[in-house]
Amino acid sequence: MMPRRFPLFNLYQSPFLPPALRRAVLAGLAFSLLWMLSLAPAWLTGQDVDPRIREAEAQRLAAIERVRPAVVAIFARGGGGGGSGVIIDPEGYALTNFHVVQPCGNFMHCGLPNGELYEAVLVGLDPVGDVALIKLMPHQPGAPFPFAPLGDSDQVKVGDWSIAMGNPFLLATDFTPTVTFGIVSGTHRYQYPAGTILEYTDCIQTEASINPGNSGGPLFNLDGQIIGINGRGSFEKRGRVNVGVGYAISINQIKNFMGHLRGGMIVDHATLGAVVKTDEEGKLSVQQILGTVDAYRRGLRDGDELISFAGRPLSSVNQYKNILGIFPKGWRLPLVFRHYDEEKKTTQRVETLVRLAGVHRRDQLEGPGRPPPGRPQPAPRPGQPPSPQPPGPQPQPQPGQPLPAVEPPKDHPIRQWFAAKPGFANFYFNQFERDRVWTGFLKQLGGPMPAGPWKLEGEIVRPIKGPASFQLQSALIEAKWAEAEHRLEPLKPGESLENLSTPTGSGGLLAALYHWQRLLSLGEKGFEAEFHYGGTEPFYPQGAAGSALLCDVLLTEHAGVKCKWYFQPQDQILLGVEVWLEESVDPCEIVFGDYRLKDDRRVPHRWEIRHGDREFGVIVVQSLTWPKS
Amino acid sequence: MIRRWFWGLIGCWLACGAAAAQESTFAAVSRQVNQKMVKIFGAGGYRGITAYCTGVLISPEGDILTVYSPTLDSVDLRVHLYDGTRHSAVLVAAEPQLDVALIRIKDREPFKLQPLPHVDLGQLPPPPQVGDWILAFSNSFEIATGDEPVSVQRGVIAAITPFAGRRGIHRAAYQGTAYILDAVTNNPGAQGGLITNRRGEPLALIGKELKNTLTETWVNYAMPLPALASFAAKAMKGEYKPIVREEDKPLPNPGRHGLILVPDVVDRTPPFVESVETGSPAAQAGFQPDDLILFLRAKRPDAVEEEEEQVVTSVKTFREAMNALPPGTAVRCVVRRGSQLLTLEFKLEPAR
Repeated sequence: MMPRRFPLFNLYQSPFLPPALRRAVLAGLAFSLLWMLSLAPAWLTGQDVDPRIREAEAQRLAAIERVRPAVVAIFARGGGGGGSGVIIDPEGYALTNFHVVQPCGNFMHCGLPNGELYEAVLVGLDPVGDVALIKLMPHQPGAPFPFAPLGDSDQVKVGDWSIAMGNPFLLATDFTPTVTFGIVSGTHRYQYPAGTILEYTDCIQTEASINPGNSGGPLFNLDGQIIGINGRGSFEKRGRVNVGVGYAISINQIKNFMGHLRGGMIVDHATLGAVVKTDEEGKLSVQQILGTVDAYRRGLRDGDELISFAGRPLSSVNQYKNILGIFPKGWRLPLVFRHYDEEKKTTQRVETLVRLAGVHRRDQLEGPGRPPPGRPQPAPRPGQPPSPQPPGPQPQPQPGQPLPAVEPPKDHPIRQWFAAKPGFANFYFNQFERDRVWTGFLKQLGGPMPAGPWKLEGEIVRPIKGPASFQLQSALIEAKWAEAEHRLEPLKPGESLENLSTPTGSGGLLAALYHWQRLLSLGEKGFEAEFHYGGTEPFYPQGAAGSALLCDVLLTEHAGVKCKWYFQPQDQILLGVEVWLEESVDPCEIVFGDYRLKDDRRVPHRWEIRHGDREFGVIVVQSLTWPKS
Repeated sequence: MIRRWFWGLIGCWLACGAAAAQESTFAAVSRQVNQKMVKIFGAGGYRGITAYCTGVLISPEGDILTVYSPTLDSVDLRVHLYDGTRHSAVLVAAEPQLDVALIRIKDREPFKLQPLPHVDLGQLPPPPQVGDWILAFSNSFEIATGDEPVSVQRGVIAAITPFAGRRGIHRAAYQGTAYILDAVTNNPGAQGGLITNRRGEPLALIGKELKNTLTETWVNYAMPLPALASFAAKAMKGEYKPIVREEDKPLPNPGRHGLILVPDVVDRTPPFVESVETGSPAAQAGFQPDDLILFLRAKRPDAVEEEEEQVVTSVKTFREAMNALPPGTAVRCVVRRGSQLLTLEFKLEPAR
């Protein structure tokens, strides 16, 4: 008998129904209850929802499941703060924010969602772009890490879905990341520096919640590809809690800096060396240009109109800053501008390649004068747009200063992955990358070349026809170029720039040959002042009209002359060199081609020599001889 | 019969599918709606008042609907359209009761040949329901200038409710039905932004930043476009006359304070106390002749919280303010006496 306290179901005792009917009703009720129960799971799993929504949801969940293991919770050793990061390859390289690793020092602890804690070391820094590369150390040597693939942030559109992961408020003591979700609110956003040198250019604005502690974590698209690194938000008067406006550094910008970061460098951002302004019609023109920069040497002057840069059309100052801000210092990129000639009263369209100058002094990038990001930022001046602020590393709830970072003990194995050198975040990784390039280069060359004298004979095919020959001895270069004879003693004290840059118009072809011979025969020993990895830079085998190839760069300096050597990334073939006799004068450029095997050495048989905006000449090498070792 | 049901169900399913396919990306919708949005730049940049806000084009010739704010009180009001073109604009009409304003691009000639994409207030979608998805378009934090598109956010209508904002610098005078949103849409400069449904059809205008000073919580609200349509239509025709707000009207029997100020002789006579009626609330509060009244704060008898502080710039502003306050209102004044600043409080009595 049913207890009385369930009056709604107290049918059994109802005086209005005959017992047989009561039984029938009860049976019916029981049946419908069973029927409903059998349907309930279907209803709960939502089979009345469009299957495509289910599918989209399943895809989203799968994407999150796939990349979640690669999301890193970063902690300063000693517990003085932290943030987020993401692993980008099986070796354990991980991206995060500069302002996350800054309080950590050179070493940090990283927790992965598998619940394990790893040692990690700082690799490279981009303080202006607020990016840092770190490397996690596997527990078993060579064990691969889970990683997330890099996407293409230029394909991201306003309205697309985005997934942010990280460790907001350092919530996850078991290192499992918090997942937040939202649409992309804006792309190609420019955000002014917030009282520091940090500048967010060409960044992605998302409504996925970015809070303190999320800094350095990944922003994914729905395919689980990294489209950005979260690092900043607009907060203003509501405290440091998300108000629907967060920013991620676009992954395509980071890709441009990746070579430098992997090379343990502290990399600067770039400037044309010109102040630009928009007029009422939206035309972008040069207001002031420095006389010492490459853009000036390429003919850019006050009043010239900028048309496009790095292949993107220019229409506003923000856009100009956006495009400029995604490239490292030293990169060479196509610029198109309109130049008005005062004397001839004509307007001329110029398409050229411009080498970008650095923005900051070295001490600004690594010095103590830099205001630490992650702290509360100064309030914006009246009339200024409110500067977005980095959500910052989440400090532990300590009164006063955050805990100082604790260095690992002297004999800790992580220390072997670190080498200090001024100007570098971690010189160990610079040597590592340099050795990688150098070993590859020697392999394809066929081993170091014997020292001089070398004799090179060939034919000039452009701009005139004629013979060319070069005698390379250790401290004396003699040459015949068409009918003229040239001679250079590169180490002679007090040699004038004019003599050093012989033949006239080449920018120093003989000096370039001298350095080339040193590189091939002496290697590192030939360059007492510098022999570093210089990250990756675009190289233009066909000049301004042709396309760029992203190359590994070695930087050398010997006898006050700096050289930039470009190596093909997959096989380290030496594609070209820039030889700088002086920093403010255009270098001598050589493009090496037609590599052929000669006496077990693979050497270039076609040389294209350029200087400034002009081609000096092209020679086809007929014979290259050196003493048999 | 059953067959008809069956086909009906199939039809529903297909319709849902189509909607779902559209829902999967907001990129197309965002691009299309953004063409109707304008970035407005005017006065401000101090005391929490931004010098920028957002607006929506409501005519092909450059009429722009936005939220009324001090930003629009500028002789140099400028707007940036979606294509990056910059124009001067002028305030045509403002309705304090609705908290909306119509501004207009000064030079309308170019748009006669090339009509602007705009929201047609005569053709609005059916009203949304609680739980419906929305998209919010606004230039919050002045992130966009020139041809940069304004920010897009997504949210849900959490409530549809009569709205009572508060007075003060960030006051929201709007009194009708409002949509309360679950996303943080009402950021600095977002006022005048557009709320659409997920298909990009216009629903409402984003209101001001509004904080409940008791709970320190922020409200994200938007004003439904149908409520603003008749204002906009009249304002575009130049026929609009502002409604006088009830609470700003002088009351027939304002509360008595007992302060007699110096004669109002010039345009901005400083609000000095001439004398104080004996036994009056002001006398009990300790007012003395020659006190200079600087600030005033009032809490009406029926109000939950104090109104925002008001600067008393002249005898006239003091009189206007006091004439609108009923008996029982608690008033707090900051006065200067000699070199001292004093806070004096009193409660208005019924007039005798």
